[in-house]
Amino acid sequence: MDELELLKKHWNKSSTNYPSLNKADLYKLINMRSSSIVKWIFIISLLEFLGWSLISFLFDGTESLEKMNNYNVEHIFYPLTIFGYLVLFVFFFLFYKNYKSISATDNIKTLMQQILKTRKTVKQYVIFNLGFMCVSIVIGVYIELTNNPEVQTMLTRIESEGANNIYIFYLIVVALSLLAMAVITVILLGFYYLIYGLLLKRLKSNYKDLKTLETD
Amino acid sequence: MKSVTEQNFVTLLQEHQNIVHKVCRIYTYDSDAHKDLFQEITIQLWKAFPKFRGDSKFSTWMYRVGLNTAITLYRKSLRQVQSQRIESVEFKLSYEVYDDTKDEQLKLIYGAVRKLNDIDKGIVFLYLENKNYKEISETLGISEVNARVRMNRIKTKLKTQLNS
Repeated sequence: MDELELLKKHWNKSSTNYPSLNKADLYKLINMRSSSIVKWIFIISLLEFLGWSLISFLFDGTESLEKMNNYNVEHIFYPLTIFGYLVLFVFFFLFYKNYKSISATDNIKTLMQQILKTRKTVKQYVIFNLGFMCVSIVIGVYIELTNNPEVQTMLTRIESEGANNIYIFYLIVVALSLLAMAVITVILLGFYYLIYGLLLKRLKSNYKDLKTLETD
Repeated sequence: MKSVTEQNFVTLLQEHQNIVHKVCRIYTYDSDAHKDLFQEITIQLWKAFPKFRGDSKFSTWMYRVGLNTAITLYRKSLRQVQSQRIESVEFKLSYEVYDDTKDEQLKLIYGAVRKLNDIDKGIVFLYLENKNYKEISETLGISEVNARVRMNRIKTKLKTQLNS
């Protein structure tokens, strides 16, 4: 006899042995907290929003704002800030839309695709933030170099000490900025890789498994 | 006060709760995990209930949400570890499921099914539940041909495992 047929026979026979929960218990159950993967992704992306907002809040604090006013660089500073917030709102809308479209009623493949799409939006958000941060660092360094009086005095001094010294100075500035960007990027990407890698490991392998059938 | 929707849902759920138990049976290996998955599936069913339009049978819809939860949505919670289970609903799983069966051959087959991956388990489950290939393909979101191919491979896989 076919193994599965044998199993089926036993399966049908034993399917009457399951406990029967009464309505009171079922009411209690449906009102309990879910620990689904979607909920976790949502919580993590909310924390990301808060985290990034906090970072931009710290950097856009009154002190740096005053400094920027002194430098007369509002024409760079304000559009950049407004642009940052606009993109934030767009992502917020996309996150919301994605979560709304996740439905346990879909078929398994569609559901997996929806979750991975949500994940992709989060990824784009992270990449945008990293890029935005790098651009901000470049602009910030440039503004400091051209506007900060202390830096200006230092530059004149270095230049007077030798013509080549100024190039070495700029080289060091560029190298340090790049290093800072690289360190931040590696730390953040590693962090995200860890969080989402762990969260979506099983889903990804199941999705891959489902997809391989089509390419066979 | 419980809403009419909630009352309707719980009535339907109580009637068909065996389906949820059976999904747990395929995807979990001990009674704690069974209870945990049972809880998550009922929560997901309730959350998805507004989307149940009645154009399919409630039981058919339950299979889909149940499998979706077991394969995709469910994450082992910390509930078990943190022993917050007290707040949960206790029910006895006193059937022979977890020491399985005395029949040696059946025990081996259950063991082989247990070793299958999540998707294959789902297919075996639907097969055991007398679902045809059309229903299996619709639940998974793959073509009927692919479902058949997959089923044949599972059969071969099980045979190889049992004969080794």
